[in-house]
Amino acid sequence: MLTTVLILLPFAGALVVWLAPWSRLWAGAIALLVSLLEVGVWVNAVVAFDFDESGLQEDARLSWFSDLGVSYHVGLYGFSLWLVGATVVVMASATAYGVWAGRERARTYFGSMLFLSGAIVAVFSAQDLLLFYAAFEGMLIPLYVLVGVWGGRGRQSATVKLVIYTICGSLLMLAAIVGLGLSQGTFDLVESGTSGNEWLFLGFLAAFAVKAPLFPLHGWLPDAYREASPEVAAVLSGIVSKAAVFGLLRIVIAKFPDPVADFRVLVLVLASLGLVYGSLLAFRAPDVRGVIAYSSLAQMGLITLGLFSGNSAGVNGAILQSVVHALVSATLFLLAGGIERRAGNGELASLGGFAKGRPALATLLMTTGVIALAVPGSAAFAGEFLILAGVFDRGWLWAVIGAAAIVLAAMYTLRLISAVLHDRRGAAVSEEALDLRPAELAIVVPLVACLLALSAWPAGVADRSLPGGDPAGGQTSPLFSEAAGGGWTAYAPLVDAP
Amino acid sequence: MALTIPAWICLLAPLAGALAITLLGTGISRRLAGILSTASVAVSFAAAVVCFVQVLGRDGEERRQLSTAWTWLSIGDLDVGLTLLVDPLSIMMMLIVSGVGSLIVAYSIGYMAGDDEERRFFAFMALFVFSMLTLVLAGNFLILLAGWGLVGLSSYLLIGFHHDRPSAIAAAKKAFIMNAVGDATMALAFFLLIYETGTLDFLEAFDAADGLGSTTVNLVALGLLGGAVAKSAQIPLHTWLPDAMEGPTPVSALIHAATMVTAGVYLIVRASAIFEAAPSVQDLAAGIGALTLVVAGLIALVQTDIKRVIAYSTMSQIGYMFLAAGIGAYANGMFHLMTHAFFKALLFLGAGLVIHALVGEQDMRRMGGLRRLLPRTWLAMLIGGLALTGIPPLSGFFSKDSILASALATGDAYGYVLFVAGLIGAFLTGVYTFRLIFLVFGGEPSAFVREHLHSEHGEGPRSMTLPVAALALLAVIGGAVQIAGIWHPLADFLRESAEPLVEPTVTQDWVTSALAVGLGVAGIAVAWLVYGSKRVAAPRAAALRRPLEHKLYFDELYQGLFYHPAAALARLFGRLIEGPLIGGSLAGIAGGTRGVGRGLSHAQTGYLRTYALAIAGGLAILALVFVSVR
Repeated sequence: MLTTVLILLPFAGALVVWLAPWSRLWAGAIALLVSLLEVGVWVNAVVAFDFDESGLQEDARLSWFSDLGVSYHVGLYGFSLWLVGATVVVMASATAYGVWAGRERARTYFGSMLFLSGAIVAVFSAQDLLLFYAAFEGMLIPLYVLVGVWGGRGRQSATVKLVIYTICGSLLMLAAIVGLGLSQGTFDLVESGTSGNEWLFLGFLAAFAVKAPLFPLHGWLPDAYREASPEVAAVLSGIVSKAAVFGLLRIVIAKFPDPVADFRVLVLVLASLGLVYGSLLAFRAPDVRGVIAYSSLAQMGLITLGLFSGNSAGVNGAILQSVVHALVSATLFLLAGGIERRAGNGELASLGGFAKGRPALATLLMTTGVIALAVPGSAAFAGEFLILAGVFDRGWLWAVIGAAAIVLAAMYTLRLISAVLHDRRGAAVSEEALDLRPAELAIVVPLVACLLALSAWPAGVADRSLPGGDPAGGQTSPLFSEAAGGGWTAYAPLVDAP
Repeated sequence: MALTIPAWICLLAPLAGALAITLLGTGISRRLAGILSTASVAVSFAAAVVCFVQVLGRDGEERRQLSTAWTWLSIGDLDVGLTLLVDPLSIMMMLIVSGVGSLIVAYSIGYMAGDDEERRFFAFMALFVFSMLTLVLAGNFLILLAGWGLVGLSSYLLIGFHHDRPSAIAAAKKAFIMNAVGDATMALAFFLLIYETGTLDFLEAFDAADGLGSTTVNLVALGLLGGAVAKSAQIPLHTWLPDAMEGPTPVSALIHAATMVTAGVYLIVRASAIFEAAPSVQDLAAGIGALTLVVAGLIALVQTDIKRVIAYSTMSQIGYMFLAAGIGAYANGMFHLMTHAFFKALLFLGAGLVIHALVGEQDMRRMGGLRRLLPRTWLAMLIGGLALTGIPPLSGFFSKDSILASALATGDAYGYVLFVAGLIGAFLTGVYTFRLIFLVFGGEPSAFVREHLHSEHGEGPRSMTLPVAALALLAVIGGAVQIAGIWHPLADFLRESAEPLVEPTVTQDWVTSALAVGLGVAGIAVAWLVYGSKRVAAPRAAALRRPLEHKLYFDELYQGLFYHPAAALARLFGRLIEGPLIGGSLAGIAGGTRGVGRGLSHAQTGYLRTYALAIAGGLAILALVFVSVR
């Protein structure tokens, strides 16, 4: 029931904002109110959630085409709950940023934000392939508008790239969905069994590899993250990319155990290539957004490593890292927006010296930055440690590559921090540029607070992600029960140990 | 009362201090921020003393207690808690960190007065103490690594405290990144440890160490050693420490002399069970220590910046501690760690008084003749210098000689090599230390000194001179904790945590002391001849001097080996892949689509007959397909 509320509330909000002739102020206020309500509903869902329970929770099901086995079937597993949590928190901050920035054509804008929010939550809770596809494509419509209308100077080509890339992937996925649904006799994810069809597997993989994105399918990423307005970039890199994580876990890994095992090395190679490649490009990116954009590419590579490690350590780490990256990336993009507002641009060469006399900006950027570079003890470190410990099980080389990438992450993040905050005052930085205003603090501080809380207790998310707890503990979760033989292995040494 | 309650108070007090200063912001005066920071560290020290007193009343296993707050992370079946381990070794470190820490933070109140962003400084200092206490109190490797990373972070923040100075920021980044390399090797060692033993808990992992295959345990030990070498600025990961002197002097005293840089030694002693199972890696640690102590001593001879001389001296002295830990003389290594914390903090704070009096000048060539102008500072530096050189009865004498005697006591050829290296180091220590003292305090006041010395504020406010006096006292008497052949309470205290592998005989102790003190005095004499009385000119020996002045070209080597290739690779990726292939892919697709469209548009001829033909053809194909599929 709560899941349906989580999905429908923002859609209803979008309709209200679109249909009635609200003033800009009211449109923003309604959107903000709905997004905050959404956070409240989610907190309710967390409280109501039974983490020891293995099945789908807060689920709802309505038959749609009964002869094809298509239904409106939604519900939450532990990891969906956390992905939805990241969504509602980031969407609330992004909406607040939109209100604060005073976006033009407010009704279209806020309606689109709300619609996007509903679509993302629907993706993370869908338990039916067609519903998933509808929601997955539904995200693209508001994004198309949001990037294309409120973006920067190069927004046109950025939008076209984003849409073409995504649609290419999605069409392959549509074919795969039809194929899988018809061969299984149902489109329901809970009811359907596993498949060994490699073509279907590749169809899904292509869609999610574009969405994440995985190297080398990230052609849309630099432009989209640079040209979108900061809050849209925050949503895009923080949340929308996690649709790929959900899809990989819920569909690819759970439904295609054998192909996953067969193609594992290929995916791990692409993921680690993306990790190193993204880190290196982040290190040479000339602007703030470029660094964040390529670091997102690297992070998605890392998360994919965890997902395809095939054990609970890696997957738990991937979920934790998804949530952490959603918050980190969103915070960084919103801060980048604040910086660009003050300096007029985000070119690193013309920035510098922001820390002097602007303690709030300096403290928040520094805190987020050191979490982003996964300083030991931070939530991102916990996620990376889990992922690499998991993938170590597959071969030490993956972990070595991952560890090397951590050093690269330190290099590009420190470069970003000091280029903005430190050194002599940059040409574009005026002495009078203000510190973060109270409104900006109210937008960003909650995100950073979430990150600090996660750093104190990363197990709070990581250990509560997989349904039925830990497969290594001898429990088999219904999500992966079919897959237990092939793609899903427990963390081997811990099972072998007496 | 459980040991762990004061331990938690000890750990959390500085964190509370740091948070309070950050959140109160400009709501409190700068001075109050300093006082708050000092008080929070002092509370830590008091709690550490309570722990110490408590543990003295216990025996054997009861001296060790664990306390877990909550599960921080689960890796498969393995639950890794936020666990503290309180035992004699961690209590000793707690006492040093919070004790020396509170003296240095108190000193900073005077030293930093008038700086723009004092509050930030004091928040960072408290954050550092919290991080360092996390490191030494951790009950498993993961929390140790968390502390390890957080001290690196605080070190980064404090080296780059003057963030408008490009050199400070560059030094801060360098320190962080070199330490990230160490963090990465440690993390890899932990993955292997989890894989092989299924645990990260100290006590369980140490029990399991003996049963591991030799390749495994060697790799684990090597990974740990990588972290230790980076954190303790030993060769080859040492180049960040001299640059770290960009930080304010109290930072150098606390982080880059007394506490953080000795964490590597602590790690080897803590994980001695693992290192003992991997004897070749342990030998490697001793060898690295010996090499560093000699090389750093040599480089210190030609440095002109007063703080850099002391920084190289720190590297060199930590080399002694590595040597001790590598041969299994754990208590002696820890003993030197403690006395070094006293006299090296003293030297840095003394140097700070000099720099403070000379409005920030650090170049020794412009100093001179300060003995009469700053008599108390001179006395403090003299005490520190004598203790560092190992002149009896000051503290360095007892601790350094016990390490050398242990090297002798190993009785094998490798031990003798280490012993000789240590003796060479003792001589070098005498030379570079007293070169510093003669250059800064000897002779007549230089022109620069006459012009710039602030005579009106004496030798600094009481908040600065009192901690210096306290450290001077500790540097004098600190060695009495353990006197070879007479009593050894420290070794007994630490026995629970790390049983020594070698214990020198009294004869070996006496022989070593005679040699080491003789060489130290010889070193002082050489320094006197060259820099004091100036009767002998410093040897020019350009062929030797230039490599030393360039710090043996390590920076250049790393630039060429790592930085430039990585940057070139990034550029190459950008130019060859990202631009044309990835960025251009869409242009290619668009062009292709347009081409196909243009091609297809030829089909639109407008003639009905063409369309009729197409329809008929299409139907024919469909019919064929239909028939053949059926």
